[in-house]
Amino acid sequence: MSAPLQLSDTANLIGALFLGLSFGFFLERGGLGNPHRLTGVFYLTDFAVPKAMFTAILVAATGVCVLTDLKILDMGAVYIIPTFFWPQLVGGALFGIGYIVSGYCPGTAVAGLASGRLDALAAMVGVGLGALIFAAVFPQVEGFYLTSSMGKVTLPEFIGINKWVMLAIVYVMAGSLFYAMERFEHGRSPAGIMQHRHA
Amino acid sequence: MKEKSYWSPYLSGVGLGLTLLASFVVAGQGLGASRAFTVTASKALQAVIPAYTATLSYLSSYLERALFQDWTVVEVGGLFLGALIGVLWSRSFRLRFDRGKGVSIGMRTLTALGGGMILGFASRLARGCTSGVALTGGAQFALAGWVFVIAMFATGFLVRSFFRRLWS
Repeated sequence: MSAPLQLSDTANLIGALFLGLSFGFFLERGGLGNPHRLTGVFYLTDFAVPKAMFTAILVAATGVCVLTDLKILDMGAVYIIPTFFWPQLVGGALFGIGYIVSGYCPGTAVAGLASGRLDALAAMVGVGLGALIFAAVFPQVEGFYLTSSMGKVTLPEFIGINKWVMLAIVYVMAGSLFYAMERFEHGRSPAGIMQHRHA
Repeated sequence: MKEKSYWSPYLSGVGLGLTLLASFVVAGQGLGASRAFTVTASKALQAVIPAYTATLSYLSSYLERALFQDWTVVEVGGLFLGALIGVLWSRSFRLRFDRGKGVSIGMRTLTALGGGMILGFASRLARGCTSGVALTGGAQFALAGWVFVIAMFATGFLVRSFFRRLWS
């Protein structure tokens, strides 16, 4: 078997539906459709977002490294997000403001609506409007949008290290972060942690 | 009724990571979300003011396919259904405006809409959101993903005191 699979258009869309089902199910079960949980990371009251996010990154990145070396998955044929340094830095910064104000990001707003949150619907309408505003002012921002293009560059290539070394670094970084967050939660509210444990 | 029924975020993260890996293998791309909003909003704008929409060059690539022929639109449709399964399974569905104490429904609608607009604009500038850039890019070790995620969390911490009242 060699991946990515070369599926027909219809099969690819069916795949998209099932991947989305799984994506939404795990987002919701992790409490990531709840805006209090989503913004809790900024007020040090709830670390579900970084815990789930960096666990997901570690699991997927480990799988990619293993499947690539077993010659099962060809990452050369997988779409890699291209880097445009300044637009993505500024975009990420703006995104952080939108996230703390709305209480959601685009995907988690959909999970929020599924749980009956009408504020998530308002956020979803906003995301669509924001994209249209971007399209309307595109001639004015196009110059900035296209600056600092670095291509489909990855960190191991950028730094000049082996991907397994990179993976080990991410494990150590995420592991230290998880340890610090667990320690902080234990110290701050032992009762809350016990509740969490028994949940 | 709500928080207590959630799973450990680590367990949720393992599920999300396996889903993302499956997406690389099956579809040759990672997971996304914001693209579905751009496609849907573009289609809506086209239906209302087609002449103006045609002048917006940025939208042309989002209008190429029919709505439900777009991979990310179908995937986000699945996301909604998957989250709904989780909600119904844990019996936590409840229609409400989720907001901080002392935040009115009108105020909450405004912050959700306004914050959402910033998210929508920022996602286009960054070429994706937490799903397509941070999560997918992060797992690919793409520089883009790590730049985005660091900028996002750093800015959130910088501005948090201005918005504390919304969530306390």
